[in-house]
Amino acid sequence: MSNKYVARLAVGLYLSLIVLPLWLALDRLIWVAGFDAYSWLNSLDENFISQGVLEFTIIQATLSAILTLAIGIPIAWQLGRYSWPLQSLIRSILTMPFVMPSIVAAMGFMSIIGENGLDIRSDRSTWFTTLIIAHAWFNLALVIRFCEPVLSTLDPSMEEQMRLLPSGKTWWGRFRNLWAPILMPSIAAAACMTFVFSFTSFALVEWITLGENTLESMMADIGSSAGIKGVMVSKNELILGASIIQFSILIFSLGLMSWLQQRRQSLLPLVSENIVKTQNKKGWIIVLPAIVFAVLPLLAVLISSFRIREVDAGGSRQYWSTEAWNYAFTATNSLPSAWDALQNSIGYAIITLFIALPLGWMLALTIFDLEKRKPRLARILDISTMLPFAVSSVMIGLGVMLGMIKINPQFFYSLWFTPILAHVMITTPFVVRIMLPAIRSLDPSFDECAQILGMSKTKRFFLITIPMLKGSLIISSIFILAMSMGEFGASWVVTRNSDWTTLPVIIDSIRAVPYNNPMTVPAANAVSSVLMIIALLLFISTEKFRPKRDGGMF
Amino acid sequence: MNNKIIVFSMLIPFMMLSGCISESIEKKLEEEPEMPEEYQWEDDGELVIVTYDVTGLTDSMLSEFENQTGYEISITKLEDAGSILSHLLQYKGVQVSDLAIGLDNTYLQTAIDNGVLWEHFANFSNISESALTPYSGPLAVPFDQGYMCLNYDTEIVDGENMSVPTSLWDLTEDDWNGKVAIPSPETSSPGRAFMTATVDYFANDEDTNTEWTDWWTAMAENDAIITTGWSEAYETHYTGGYGEYTEGYVGDAHVVVSYCHSPGVEAWYNGNWTKSAALDLPRAAFHQVEYAAAIEGGNLDAASAFIEYLLSEEVNVNMPTENFMYSVLEDTDLPEDGGYRYHSTIPVQPAEVTAAQIAANMENWLEDWNTAMVAA
Repeated sequence: MSNKYVARLAVGLYLSLIVLPLWLALDRLIWVAGFDAYSWLNSLDENFISQGVLEFTIIQATLSAILTLAIGIPIAWQLGRYSWPLQSLIRSILTMPFVMPSIVAAMGFMSIIGENGLDIRSDRSTWFTTLIIAHAWFNLALVIRFCEPVLSTLDPSMEEQMRLLPSGKTWWGRFRNLWAPILMPSIAAAACMTFVFSFTSFALVEWITLGENTLESMMADIGSSAGIKGVMVSKNELILGASIIQFSILIFSLGLMSWLQQRRQSLLPLVSENIVKTQNKKGWIIVLPAIVFAVLPLLAVLISSFRIREVDAGGSRQYWSTEAWNYAFTATNSLPSAWDALQNSIGYAIITLFIALPLGWMLALTIFDLEKRKPRLARILDISTMLPFAVSSVMIGLGVMLGMIKINPQFFYSLWFTPILAHVMITTPFVVRIMLPAIRSLDPSFDECAQILGMSKTKRFFLITIPMLKGSLIISSIFILAMSMGEFGASWVVTRNSDWTTLPVIIDSIRAVPYNNPMTVPAANAVSSVLMIIALLLFISTEKFRPKRDGGMF
Repeated sequence: MNNKIIVFSMLIPFMMLSGCISESIEKKLEEEPEMPEEYQWEDDGELVIVTYDVTGLTDSMLSEFENQTGYEISITKLEDAGSILSHLLQYKGVQVSDLAIGLDNTYLQTAIDNGVLWEHFANFSNISESALTPYSGPLAVPFDQGYMCLNYDTEIVDGENMSVPTSLWDLTEDDWNGKVAIPSPETSSPGRAFMTATVDYFANDEDTNTEWTDWWTAMAENDAIITTGWSEAYETHYTGGYGEYTEGYVGDAHVVVSYCHSPGVEAWYNGNWTKSAALDLPRAAFHQVEYAAAIEGGNLDAASAFIEYLLSEEVNVNMPTENFMYSVLEDTDLPEDGGYRYHSTIPVQPAEVTAAQIAANMENWLEDWNTAMVAA
């Protein structure tokens, strides 16, 4: 089979994988709710459960983006303009939150504000602030990854020249006339992505706030009763209305992001980091608290997993114990063992890797190939591969759930494989985004030389292409494993209607056990600790293979 | 003591009447059930139970069943009764589970009307007629019961700082602003049960100018705390319960929708002490019965065997301590230990809403409730 057919097969497989479940889900929702887009959109105002949800979603996402920038820009500045001992370790610590599963972040912040920590959770007014801070923690890496490379490689002579000009005499003048225009596209891109991730926030909103909903968490809450003729019809309208709004806002944000990414490709003179960076001892005032901020929620999760509450007539107190770990890793009839969830998660992650990596790679190759011959088609395919970003994981989960009910519920229900469909849908776009720049940067002359020397196609693939793409392939692989292991929204929706569970879902299930069980909180934190350690190990592996001047988010 | 006299005096006519009714029920149940001819299933030695977090399904109890019968049990655990109904309807015609445990009388009729349940052939003969009142047909068997009603914190609602409400309208006054926690009827079965009670309460009150929906609008305007589920309302918001000893406690509500015997459970846990009490307003309590039902297309042998086991005396009498609900067996009550029985209230005049009324009107009631809340 020629490359052309393989490419067509990959594109066809991917599009059917993405489009088919969503199409079937839409078909089923419309079958129940009727085809009336005005009524779908109107339902957001007409339902008690959705009142104020859109406003809340937009406000919290906007504030999260603002706070992320407020915290992230000074840190990126320090990392970019000054040299630090163990620089790469510090950078790794500060960007690590981004790869943490959102459910782990939720458990971490709950532990910080809970009884064992600041003990402010009982105050309702703290929830919103905690959510915004948690989003800032989660997305801090975006600001650092987008801004630091620009800061660390800009020729210092530019600033010196600026100092000689009237408009660059003051710090503010230099910032306004030099740094702001240079940094603005990167800052805006980071803000844009933070907005997108906060807009679709589910686990953090579900757990940190009480009673507040984003469009995403609302759809997850009402999703279980969707697609049933004659039952809770208004909820089907609500899901359709919320999806349209969410899809439109995310598409706009991603389009803006794409435009900003292009503007980030700077034509300014670049120099080595070593020339730019100087010492700055005062900078520790920013860097040290930032390190504490990045690490604290994770430490809180681990410590809280060993703290057990004891209640008697004299009140309640806490003691140290490993009981919660035993509880979490022992199966009961009401909860499967975390071991089962761990095995499932590892299995799902590995199979997702074997599907998403070649699929994403083939898609990236196809886009690259089309860019030369049919640029418009390449652009369309490129945008289509980003579709799952705009659809959100809960919608993907609903798509898989309603899609499988429509196709063959009996088969999919008992099929261990089912959650993998959602994981492949979610991870493949990331592979495309990582592989495409790598493929673009390949020097074709190596392959041409080998061809002239008579090397076979297979040999060239294994001896030239794979070694040259090794770094990106490894990063993609690790990213797939991390994303799949930590995926919550889609798995939460899908596994509720299957026999299987995953680590993030079991954390949610354990934490949902009534709190009169003293194991509820520490056991959820014990499983969170396991997931956190896996994510950390995967993250450390990625950092080894990351290109030096990497300005992407992954 | 007074409570005991009231309850006993209530029970006397009940007991006299129950003799006649239970005899006929017994006779009916003892008759050999005839399976509809179209029923076809395969006994594969497995029993898949779809349920929510019914604490009565303990590991030891399930293991005992497996040892006795040889069936292997697996459990699909959903969030609540509503999720069980959704699951049954979404997988209608597909054999993915055998037995549903936890549908209550606000959801059961919808399941029956949609044809997702099968007649079981379990044998039992000792179910109380009160448990069979909402439904006594062959498609579902009650396994526990209780009354939903408002609970209040007696340390705060003590008659001095705050008056004990004597009408649901009292809760719409300024004193109660933001201090009442109610699970949403859209997402919670206790919430649905309480909403159903309010329909009956306001249909029978003296005021003919207001509807039940007006009360809900007034409650929404008075910043009632509407939660997704019971746990959030009781554990996080209610000041009178065990929530104050748990992580995430907020404690901003002094009245909550829960069970009329919740104070009894609190006392049982706390050495015969509780500051929580049930508010027994006429027609404001709802008799909730939870059912076990064989699922269409499932393993009917296994489902029927488990229903029989669940209704056996050795298992069902433990409902108050294992599942914190009343047993459905005749001549059973809550244990006296630790003030469990003493602090539990049996409402004098619960709401009277039949299963047929619920099935016919629930979708409309939920829509009306939604409209009332949005209007606030």
